Amino acid sequence: MTTVLAALDTSAAARPVLETACRLAELTGSEVEAVHVHTDPAEHDDTPEGLAERAGVPLTRLPGPVEEALLGALEAPGVVAMAIGAHGLPDGRRLVGHTAATVLERAGKPLVVVPAEAVSPSAFTRLLAPLEGTERSTRPVVEQLLPLLGTDLDLLVLHVYDEATLPPMLDHPEYDLRILGGEFLARHFPASTRIELRTGSVAERVTEVADEQGVDLIVMSWSQDPSPERARTVREVLRTTRLPVLLVPAGPSGSYGPTCRPGTPAGTGTEAATAATAGG
Amino acid sequence: MTGDPTPAAPTRDAPTRAAPTPAGPPPATFAPVVDRTVEALVFDWDGTAVPDRRADAHDVRRRVEALTSAGVHVVIVTGTHLSNVDDQLGARPGGRGRLAICCNRGSEVFTVTGDGPHLLHRRQATPGEDAALDQAAARTVELLGERGVAAAVVAERLNRRKIDLIPLPEWADPAKADIARLTDAVAERLAAAGVAGLTEVVALADGAAQEAGLADPRITSDVKHVEIGLTDKSDSAVWAAGWLAAEGVTGGLVLVGGDEFGPLGGVEGSDSFMLVPDLARATVVSVGVEPGGVPDGVVHVGGGPARFGAILDDQLARRTERRVPAVDHDPAWVVPLSGRRDDERVGGSIGALGNGLTGTRGSLEGGGPGSDPLFLVGGVYDADGTLLPGPVWTTVDRPGRTDATPHPAVHRVLDLRTGVLLRAGDGPGFRSLRFASLADPHTLALRVEGTEPGLTGGMPLRPPAADVAFERHDLGRLAGAHTGPAGTGITAVARDLESSSGGRRTVERLVTWSTDAGAAPGPSLDDAVSRLVDAEARSFDGLLADHRRAWADRWSDAGVTIDGDPEAELAARFAVFHLLSSADDHGEAAVGPRGLTGRAYGGHVFWDADVFVLPALCALRPAAARAMLEYRIRRLPAARQAAVDQGARGARFPWESAGDGVDVTPRKVLGQDGELVPVASGLHERHIVADVAWAADHYAAWTGDGGFLDGPGRDLMIETARYWSSTVHRGAAGDAHLYGVEGPDEYHDVVDDNAFTNVMARWNLRRGADLLAASGRPDERAEAGTWRDLAGRLVDGWDPVRGIYEQFAGYFSLEPLLMAEIARPPVLADILLGAGRVAASQLIKQADVLMLHHLVPDEVVAGSLGPCLDFYGPRTAHGSSLSPAVHASLLARAGRPDEALELFHLAAGLDLDDLTGTTAGGLHLATMGGVWQALAFGFLGLAAVDGTLDVRPCLPTAWDALGLTFRFAGRRVTVRADHGQVTVTSDAPLPVHVAGAPPARFDPGTTTVDYAGPTTDRSTP
Repeated sequence: MTTVLAALDTSAAARPVLETACRLAELTGSEVEAVHVHTDPAEHDDTPEGLAERAGVPLTRLPGPVEEALLGALEAPGVVAMAIGAHGLPDGRRLVGHTAATVLERAGKPLVVVPAEAVSPSAFTRLLAPLEGTERSTRPVVEQLLPLLGTDLDLLVLHVYDEATLPPMLDHPEYDLRILGGEFLARHFPASTRIELRTGSVAERVTEVADEQGVDLIVMSWSQDPSPERARTVREVLRTTRLPVLLVPAGPSGSYGPTCRPGTPAGTGTEAATAATAGG
Repeated sequence: MTGDPTPAAPTRDAPTRAAPTPAGPPPATFAPVVDRTVEALVFDWDGTAVPDRRADAHDVRRRVEALTSAGVHVVIVTGTHLSNVDDQLGARPGGRGRLAICCNRGSEVFTVTGDGPHLLHRRQATPGEDAALDQAAARTVELLGERGVAAAVVAERLNRRKIDLIPLPEWADPAKADIARLTDAVAERLAAAGVAGLTEVVALADGAAQEAGLADPRITSDVKHVEIGLTDKSDSAVWAAGWLAAEGVTGGLVLVGGDEFGPLGGVEGSDSFMLVPDLARATVVSVGVEPGGVPDGVVHVGGGPARFGAILDDQLARRTERRVPAVDHDPAWVVPLSGRRDDERVGGSIGALGNGLTGTRGSLEGGGPGSDPLFLVGGVYDADGTLLPGPVWTTVDRPGRTDATPHPAVHRVLDLRTGVLLRAGDGPGFRSLRFASLADPHTLALRVEGTEPGLTGGMPLRPPAADVAFERHDLGRLAGAHTGPAGTGITAVARDLESSSGGRRTVERLVTWSTDAGAAPGPSLDDAVSRLVDAEARSFDGLLADHRRAWADRWSDAGVTIDGDPEAELAARFAVFHLLSSADDHGEAAVGPRGLTGRAYGGHVFWDADVFVLPALCALRPAAARAMLEYRIRRLPAARQAAVDQGARGARFPWESAGDGVDVTPRKVLGQDGELVPVASGLHERHIVADVAWAADHYAAWTGDGGFLDGPGRDLMIETARYWSSTVHRGAAGDAHLYGVEGPDEYHDVVDDNAFTNVMARWNLRRGADLLAASGRPDERAEAGTWRDLAGRLVDGWDPVRGIYEQFAGYFSLEPLLMAEIARPPVLADILLGAGRVAASQLIKQADVLMLHHLVPDEVVAGSLGPCLDFYGPRTAHGSSLSPAVHASLLARAGRPDEALELFHLAAGLDLDDLTGTTAGGLHLATMGGVWQALAFGFLGLAAVDGTLDVRPCLPTAWDALGLTFRFAGRRVTVRADHGQVTVTSDAPLPVHVAGAPPARFDPGTTTVDYAGPTTDRSTP
């Protein structure tokens, strides 16, 4: 039997973290185990224990430091994912704290970042997978996550074009977008039959589509590269969404090979720009 | 070559050969060398097929008759006369393959049927030529005698004289096997006289022939003799190549056999003359001794006639074993499909096979994730109004190695010349070939071979997409299936024949289809079964031969050559291939934007068909263009009703039309932000009405079908004009307007007085008035007068100050953005900037005003093309696949061919390079039509002007020449232009006006006219 961990702290995010872990466990046919890392022996806050007890979930107390303890727990055999909390700020943004950030950067398994405001549904039935159309963005989700999920799940893909990847021509958008979407799914995510094609800010579109479509969980791969110029989309999504975000580690930067050919619905800036300017 | 606009004429081009390779032992086995199934054998007789003329040729006869029965064409090329061969061979073929004997060293051709030989061609020397031959031979003997070589004229054959160089008893009749000794003996004899070998003898003979007045003497030698003639084996080879090409059999499908390809005594072997460019890519085998080696490209297997017999036996065995046929891998005619797994669906479109009635995508036979096999029948729709998928017939079972299995490369090619899709290179020995018969459009065929375990046909007919009703019929040895609801839909019947030989498994599948005329299973099933039985009787090889021949016939009216740009030439042929595949000659043809190459657009009909595809088919296949018009004619009732529903008169053709002619344009689509956006086209893009009329008029003008506009096409013209007359608004000032319309440029969706719509309406009114008034009836003449008056009042947007047309009322007041400020086209400017911003600017999606110059140049102000190009070109985003080709055509007509070439390349490569990302959904047929139009109406500047073919070439610098073959006014015409001459070939008298020369009536044949280079548009005063 596989296990989904719920990393409970004493913040307001603990409850939604546990609930999210339970939903994810149902989705993957796993058990749930709560973990709490105590750094202060004198700590008397029993929030994690109370939450776990009420949910009927076993709780394991782990000695600190926090990051190492959580990473150690995640690496245990049989553990398939961990839910961890993010924290809201008065301005509406959500901050992935130092602990969560460290764990995210080093985890070798999927992590679900859960905002404190997240309202957990009774079950996860609809997932949203924003995809660039690169191997880097697709393969982790396909190889690590899809095998864990059941088949009766609504997988919605979102692809957001930018200037470089926008197709150069659309004769009749009502038909051509259907072709582009179908081709995108066939090339990158054949497990899904639904796709939304948008333009503009990826993070904004993720939030919009998630709201429109009643999405329960957002699924993304990410490079685990904390440098400012990388993973901007992931950071933006984490900052703005009220939904749990399941992040699947993509491994070392570039480990999933080159991007798609020009002329396809996706591509990196360089190749797609070449396609867009291939006028003669 | 079939489809090549250059008129075929026997020429003696230098055989393709290099320095001979040194003599050496023949390879131990020839099998790998001829490891392909050929469709024709061209071979020498004496020394190749038989040891000598006295040998028993019974086995050769048996093989020849068996090969021709199996459909293989046989051409024997010999220097001797007919009876020497036919008396010895005695073959009397009775099958599909044909037998020809080219004898008397290139001077005669006989075909041989069951009742014997029949003369097909004879080059007859004039008395003067005969005399010259006599003189040349005598003079050669004299010159040799002066040098001390005793020679003699020993034979006066048809068109040649034979001189014996060694008239000694011991060399009276040397065997082929003694060729080396003979060569030494002759060399020694000549050397003794101080003659530097056979080369000097040939030079003497050539000089003597020239001296005698022969302009093109053919000097050949078999070492013992030297012959002076008017023809040689190259004439036979050229004739054979042309004869076979008419069957769709070109060089790569031919095996050439001989025994004397290499030099003999320093002189070209007689069989080397068969190595003509017309048979390039042929497999050439020598079974001779070849003491001087063989030229590059000739495989020396040796072994004499016995070995050649084994080669024939191998070809027979390949037929018996049902091996997958070959294609001629001519890079000018073969389109390679990407081997990448990701490109499977793009390859499915590019490799789609059509025959006018059906389309079959080029999906991999083993299926697998992402594969989308599809079979469509034109005009058969599902309940939702989209094309109904038929039973899938192209899938086989490959349990040991499915197409989902990663493999290093899938080598697939679409052979445009013969319309087949060939696959080879992945999996152990896996090969396949499929075709959708052009000769019998109800028949489809597939042959697969491989050595992988478990390869089998499986279910011959499989369900298409899950949302289509599918039913199987158990027919015993046959498989039947039906898609669609009972009473309608597509029925298919299939037969698989599986066999094994030497570890190789073969699956041969024949499929026929029919459409329901009543309840199913019923008439359509019986019809399909009956057709299947007929197909079996013709056999796979017979069907393929008929199919190749049919394509050869199509290409003979549809040639394209672009000298200096092989990539553009191949792309243009690709376009022509799919245009020819898209519509049948009979009944009605509904040609959607993606044709039958994919389900995208549901097979619905837009102006793409009338304005982009039809003009090309008028020239390439007039009957198919007529069928496209029949589609519109049969939907006149629906168009009339639509006009009534809108409070108008006449016929209101829909923007998007399916089976019943009712408008099926979606009313809303999802915008870039996910909101529902109204689609204006259905209600407002009314220029479609005039586009239909224009198509009818263009068809009549180009084909010369004089009865069309007086008969079935008349209502198309008149009812559309009547529609405009009932919808034009009269202004207070007496002018006339069309309010609330959408032009081709969809960035500005609902506007007033769109220049394209108004001018097309004006043209429509005038043209309709012409026809109406011709009836002579007073009421119709009066109505015609009203139309003409109305036409004259329609505002057209002409701005005399700027010297250009204003695209619509108020356009000039919009923000004057240029594409150079935004991004390099092609680009979706409305997505980049937002639809609102673009609508408020002068940026346009595609040619709009410029479409007037393209369609009705006589309706626009003379000389306005250049200024309109200068103004609208920089404002055009080319966000539509319809746009680049039109601009290319117009730039060429405006004398700017190099600018045109860039856009031409963009259009030509649109699908081959998947530039839009949507080729997976089907090919862009309108773009292909535009590509052909750019070549014809742009770079060649063709136009039909009152029955005269107007020609005003304007070629890009990079092109050496452009040639097109097409139909015009009932004639087959080839126009070829380079940068200084225009050559026109016609099979009937033809009025032609080449720019810079006076109009003339060209006689049948070829006429060449000088012209001064790039010309301006014919509308420029």
